[in-house]
Amino acid sequence: MQGFKKLFTVLSISTFIALSVLILGPPLAAQEPTNQELLERIEALEEELQYFRDILEANTEKATEARERAVAAEAKAEEATRTAESAAASRTARPLSDTKWHLAGYADAGAMFRTNGGDDTFAFGHFNPVFHFQYKDIVMFEGELEFEIDEDGKTEVALEYATLNFLVHDNVSIVVGKFLSPIGQFQERLHPTWINKIGYAPAGFGHDGAQPSSEIGVQVRGGISIGKRSMVNYAVMVGNGPRMGHEGGLELEGFGRDDNQNKAFGGRIGFLPVPYFEIGGSYMKAAVNGLEGTGALMPTTGKVKIWGADAAYTRGPWDFRFEYLNTVRGALNSAEEEGGEVEALDRLVLKAWYVQLAYRLSEITSSPFLRRLEPVVRYGKFNISGNHHLEEENAQTRLNIGLNYWIAPSLVARIGYEQRKFLVEGIKEKLILLQAAYGF
Amino acid sequence: MKLLKNLVLASAFSGLIMGSGLVLAGDPADPSRPDPAQIARGAKAWADQCGRCHNMRAPAELNDEDWYVSVTHMRVRGNIPGDMIRDIQAFLMASNKKE
Ligand code: HEC
Repeated sequence: MQGFKKLFTVLSISTFIALSVLILGPPLAAQEPTNQELLERIEALEEELQYFRDILEANTEKATEARERAVAAEAKAEEATRTAESAAASRTARPLSDTKWHLAGYADAGAMFRTNGGDDTFAFGHFNPVFHFQYKDIVMFEGELEFEIDEDGKTEVALEYATLNFLVHDNVSIVVGKFLSPIGQFQERLHPTWINKIGYAPAGFGHDGAQPSSEIGVQVRGGISIGKRSMVNYAVMVGNGPRMGHEGGLELEGFGRDDNQNKAFGGRIGFLPVPYFEIGGSYMKAAVNGLEGTGALMPTTGKVKIWGADAAYTRGPWDFRFEYLNTVRGALNSAEEEGGEVEALDRLVLKAWYVQLAYRLSEITSSPFLRRLEPVVRYGKFNISGNHHLEEENAQTRLNIGLNYWIAPSLVARIGYEQRKFLVEGIKEKLILLQAAYGF
Repeated sequence: MKLLKNLVLASAFSGLIMGSGLVLAGDPADPSRPDPAQIARGAKAWADQCGRCHNMRAPAELNDEDWYVSVTHMRVRGNIPGDMIRDIQAFLMASNKKE
């Protein structure tokens, strides 16, 4: 560009001079030039002009060539971009289909050794496949089966849960079917063995415990962000509710048909001021019918009320959990077993709590082996009043000390020590637990 | 009268929920067109939310479809809001590729 300007200036000046010479004659016409001289000068000027014309032409040619080259380069660049884009698109997956599915679940195997006499047991494992199907962002099905081997070697299959989850709103899902009870945190969130730091339920949180395990009915649930990092979450449920169990106990499970007019109603609300700290409160109200039987008394209905509180602190390598549940069944007339004699049963109170602390060593060591270790302790108590037999059998304190070795985020090998102290008879039971668990 | 009032209130509420649901329940994220801002939000939400109940699962563990479904599962199980879930899905589907 600079060159052109100069050239143009030179050309204009020379043309101007040439023209002035032609029209006005030489400015200093001291001596009149001869025609011959003038002609020679004009010729010289013409030559000069031609020279500049040639340069101009050459430059124009170059410019055109350069422009052509630029256009070609641009086209190439465009093509390259297009190729890169399509490569990127094929590297990330194509858009997903409307129906998507995922096979998940978990499995574990282990052994239990009693240190003070009694039988050692091998491989009391689970195999729990979980099926997920999702149609767009409208509905999702989830179903879990549990395969277990009982003491006699028979395989037991149970439907842990099976629900249709309707994603009606960013903050609201409607869940229908058989679901894990949202009361408390252990059942719904921690019980799978690849999640549970100890591998077994705390006293009072498993079968015959104070915590409902499942429910058949409807749930409305969701989470709502508050400000930048806080969140509230909720689950409200209506279900068929519990039934009377054997020996005056409660079966806090989902039943396919309600045995009375009173639906179970309850839920949990959780608050997270920051993502790594949650406190929750649970409540459930239901009723149970006394079991039919012989004798003068007629079975009556008893009220069931559950309330609980839980907390979780899960920052970095720390994992702290606390949970308390208070389950009360009012006095009622019922047989202890179906067809037995109907008796007046006292009010039954089940109280269960635990605290658990785990710490992953990953922050304090660079050793690849030690980083995978996670020591854990849990202490809990299960109190029962109002039914001597159940109290004798189940009321206890339970101390667990364990060590997890995390091979992958959901693959763990663990060893643990458990001490159960039964409250009625004061007997201590000591166990060594080995387990490998894998969530997939 | 009270029942009627409650019924009207209840249907208005559910109408509201369903209505906004229809607006918000957009088409799932198209993984071939990742939005960098969404992925950044997703990374943060993933770090905040996904280690609350169990160990953080590694992005490379699952493919796009499995992540999509699994994270929807966590939307329900973990009571995590849908907008956050879409960001987490976008993040995981952008970070699970093995080069
Ligand atoms: C409120 C607790 C909770 C939170 C928060 C949570 N999870 Fe989970 N997650 C679970 C439970 C419980 C299971 C086991 C489900 C089962 O087996 O029924 C699970 C299972 C999984 C699985 C195994 C496959 C599956 O879908 O069951 C993956 C993967 C997973 N979670 C990833 C995540 C990611 C990613 C996040 C963050 C968006 C997350 N989780 C947040 C509780 C939680």
